[in-house]
Amino acid sequence: MNPLISAALVALGLPAALALLLAVVPKLRRTGKPAALLSILGSLLALSAAGWLAATWLHDPKQVLDLTTSWLPQSGKSMSQVGVHLDGISVSMLLVVAIVASCVQLFSLGYLSDEPAPALGRYYAYQSLFLFSMNLLVLAPDLMQLFLGWELVGATSYLLIGFWFTRPAAGKAALKAFVVTKFADSGLILALITLVAWTGSFSWNATLPAGGAEWLALFLFIAVMGKSAQFPLHIWLPDAMQGPTPVSALLHAATMVAAGVYLIVRADPIFAAAPHVRLFMTDLGAITALFAALIAMVQTDIKKVLAYSTCSQLGYMISGLGAGSLMGGYFHLTTHAFFKALLFLAAGAVIHAVHSNELSDMGGLWRKLKFTTVAFVIGSLSLAGLPGLSGFYSKDLILEAVHESGNPLALGLLMATAGLTAFYMTRTVVKAFFGKPSHAAEHAHGPGPSMTIPLLILLVPAIGLGWLAGPMSKLYGRSYAFHLDTIGMVTIALGLGGIALGWLIYGMGLLQALPRAFAPIARIANGSTVDDLWALSYSKLGMGLARAIAWFDRYIIDGLMNFLGWLFMWSGQRVRTLQTGNVQDYLYAVFGAAALIALWGGWR
Amino acid sequence: MSHLLSIIIAAPFVAALLLLPCRSTDRLLMRWISLLGSLVSLTGSLIVAWRYDIKAGGLQMAELYPLVPSLGIDIRLAVDGWGVSLLLLTGIIITTGVLASWTLKDREKEFFALLLILVAGVFGVFVCQDLFVFFLFYEIAVLPMYLLIAIWGSSNKVADAGPFRFIWKLFDIGGREYAAMKLTLMLLVGSAFILVAVIALYQAAGAHTFDMGVLGAFKYDASLQKWIFPLVWLGFGTLAGVFPFHTWSPDGHASAPTAVSMLHAGVLMKLGAFGVIRIGMMMLPEGAHAWVWAVGLIAAINVLYGALSAMAQKDLKYIIAYSSVSHMGVVMLGAATLTQGGWNGAVYQMFAHGIMTGLFFALVGLVYERAHTREVGKMGGFAQAMPIVAAFFTLGCLSSLGLPGTAGFVAEFLVFAGAWSGPHLWWALPAVAGAFITAIYVLRVTRDVFWGPGPSEQFHDLLDARKTELGALWILGTCIVLFGLWPRLLLDYIDPATTQNLAMATQTAQLTPTPATAVAAQAPPPVAPPAATAAVAHAAAGGGR
Repeated sequence: MNPLISAALVALGLPAALALLLAVVPKLRRTGKPAALLSILGSLLALSAAGWLAATWLHDPKQVLDLTTSWLPQSGKSMSQVGVHLDGISVSMLLVVAIVASCVQLFSLGYLSDEPAPALGRYYAYQSLFLFSMNLLVLAPDLMQLFLGWELVGATSYLLIGFWFTRPAAGKAALKAFVVTKFADSGLILALITLVAWTGSFSWNATLPAGGAEWLALFLFIAVMGKSAQFPLHIWLPDAMQGPTPVSALLHAATMVAAGVYLIVRADPIFAAAPHVRLFMTDLGAITALFAALIAMVQTDIKKVLAYSTCSQLGYMISGLGAGSLMGGYFHLTTHAFFKALLFLAAGAVIHAVHSNELSDMGGLWRKLKFTTVAFVIGSLSLAGLPGLSGFYSKDLILEAVHESGNPLALGLLMATAGLTAFYMTRTVVKAFFGKPSHAAEHAHGPGPSMTIPLLILLVPAIGLGWLAGPMSKLYGRSYAFHLDTIGMVTIALGLGGIALGWLIYGMGLLQALPRAFAPIARIANGSTVDDLWALSYSKLGMGLARAIAWFDRYIIDGLMNFLGWLFMWSGQRVRTLQTGNVQDYLYAVFGAAALIALWGGWR
Repeated sequence: MSHLLSIIIAAPFVAALLLLPCRSTDRLLMRWISLLGSLVSLTGSLIVAWRYDIKAGGLQMAELYPLVPSLGIDIRLAVDGWGVSLLLLTGIIITTGVLASWTLKDREKEFFALLLILVAGVFGVFVCQDLFVFFLFYEIAVLPMYLLIAIWGSSNKVADAGPFRFIWKLFDIGGREYAAMKLTLMLLVGSAFILVAVIALYQAAGAHTFDMGVLGAFKYDASLQKWIFPLVWLGFGTLAGVFPFHTWSPDGHASAPTAVSMLHAGVLMKLGAFGVIRIGMMMLPEGAHAWVWAVGLIAAINVLYGALSAMAQKDLKYIIAYSSVSHMGVVMLGAATLTQGGWNGAVYQMFAHGIMTGLFFALVGLVYERAHTREVGKMGGFAQAMPIVAAFFTLGCLSSLGLPGTAGFVAEFLVFAGAWSGPHLWWALPAVAGAFITAIYVLRVTRDVFWGPGPSEQFHDLLDARKTELGALWILGTCIVLFGLWPRLLLDYIDPATTQNLAMATQTAQLTPTPATAVAAQAPPPVAPPAATAAVAHAAAGGGR
């Protein structure tokens, strides 16, 4: 077997084997730390495999390798294949996932050090399962395997959000996340069955009937809206922050939520032939970006700020892909994965230090957590699109693409969002790290090495990945040349303006009228409105219908059965009275009948 | 002539006979006899799967014992790929069922004897190729249920609020005697329909044999087929939980003791679906063709109706029981598509749902035994006291909602795809919606029962699974994952058998002759997915062999 394929199989199989091992050997799982170290070792091995693959592909980006076997036979033929598909796109994603996953697993060791051993073992079993599922998705040779991974990451997300299952809020959030994304996944199921009905396979390269691509793209995009938290299906993502912070970093910021974007990149042949759906994507992405950024401005929970920021950035990616820039969308996925993971892990270090998510419990933390402050500030600047940092380059690509696609509305929304992003991140940075220290912040303790090393590793791509846009574009099979035009300049200005404004308001205490003016806008846009609508439709419509059906079943359908039974019993009772036991009665009947027969005979 | 199949059928029966001389104090001995009887059948089923020649396909390992030669009744046994899968399912469920009732403490001798006799009937149905004996086995499988529920069952204590409460009192709804009587009567009415159909088929063929091969090859008059098919459909369909004749199922499964719920929901309901396909669709192709619109429509109703009803239930066992009604709808829907994918999916769903619901009922019985209540609203935080039960319950839920990597996904997906490429596209939509609704209620139940802060004072004797129960859970859980990750383990058996059986079901059907497309040909068809063409193509291919 080709050693490259073997490496991919290691990245896929090792986490699977470890997850299985931890699941079926409770003794090992309940040891806690050893189980954790085993899982971390697995992720590091997967990382080295992915690193080797990426290095090979940087050398020869055009290479394509496949190893597949029949998974679903139908009519004696293979309807679906499973295996690994290696090309520039899958290999680069594999590396991103492996890096972030390894960092997160290492970070968790410190972050969850207070957990009891069995819980820690369970956590790492989930983590290994997630890595396997995500790699299954990334390496998919066709849409079917992608769907398998897609649903499995959804399930691990459910398990990890509900990791602290004794907390009612975690249970609620886990359930909500699964149900909302499952609802959207119906679109993917429709896409799959349509694809197989038309082409007999699940390949995204299959020739489609005229106009078919639009339908398929629409079905696929419904699923993307759920997984990648696009308006109005974004409602699960902020709640998902109930999970441990490293989980939020890995699943709900860097990798799993980006799976929707990855799906669009993979199914590019389908989306390329669906201009209407792409226009919809551009607009919806831009709306989501602005909407989520507005909400992020008023959040008081540091994780919620980052969660809405993730929604907003996913909006950028979707918008860019809609505008036809695979390079922009996919590159932003990559840079975002690193700087958002960095932000979340830094936030995790803060939460670990002050034992609270609330920004009001923080403040002035830079004195106690110097390195964490540096990491968070650099992550924020990268997110805000400061020139030179990685976020700037990918965001610029998207804005250019949207501009070129001739969609001034979406462009305007996205540029406004760029300013808002800089503003709300400045607000967060100032509130958490500067200003007057809160009581909790004075007793904060710095993170240990297992938490600082991942931050250090993630700092590198968060700063410098933008400079590698050229080589990355070759992996994606696209061209890239950096040039700064008016759009870029204006965006930079907006970003700097947002930072300055944020500093003026929250750092220096000036212009206090402005946040008060923002408040109503944000309140209107606040997540709870959309949430309430969904909740209402579930509790009133869904449960109402269910109760009505259950009532109908018990009293009408079953009532008829019971009535039938009762009818037989009742008529039995009545007929029984004919049998009196008196010989006279029977003789009356006999002679009466005989007389009637005789009468009838005579009449004939 | 190998005797493998007769051994599989006879083993539980012999075990039941061996139980008779046992003293009622020989508790362990009786359990071991039952377990060994089940294990012999399970091992036999595994050997059948091993020996079955997939490449050759068709009916294999045939056995023939004359029974009533003057009427042409013989015990004819043989298996095809479907039979192999369903034998395995039955073997797994009875073995785990015995393990799950290891701690039963009331008249074990009678309980296990009835259970084993019942399962012998089930094995018989799946491999029998003689219509009369088929019916005989079917009745053997159905009748012991009355005693099993009425004697060892439990009564529902979750009262229904509202102005109609008096109806519950009036009929003793939820009571075990009520449930047992209702189940038996409804299934017996179904049997009466089937008996009429059996005799009609025998008479009309005029071949003086009940050999299903001969009867199946006979071309019945189209008008005869059109009125016999509904008899078969409703007769067997009652056991498959077909709306509106499903109401025995929630009450019956809720009241039945653990192993009986496992067997009944896990295997017996499949007899119904199997009967509709085997007798109805394969022997009466034109009748089936005239009626599939109704079969599919009702099945679509089943899926949604069962799922929504489950959503509103407050009793743990009722939730699972209604979910069976919903999932059996998927089986019937797949059957009604008359496509390769739909039938593959239907048979796969029989297997997957059997395992999954077996697991569910084992777990629910376990929880009930420890919590002494079935009311979901009172429970909460059980995961801390019984983590293993919680883990397996979660696995069952994930399979129930059709998560990839579990057996439930393969089955449901095949049915969706089959419906979408069949003549009635829209059938796929309620099926997909049903999977989504299932996600809501099963995950909500998991949360309500197992998650949340620790269990209240009321639940002081919550205990995690014992050794034998653990064995049952592991077997079922492993099957769910194994057949979910590697569907070819079963599909390699099912798919060729489907091709052949489907050929019987479509041989005389007057399908519109459109050019074969989709899976059969490489050229993509115009926008709309092709109608029944795929089925025709397979039929032609299968018939040629």
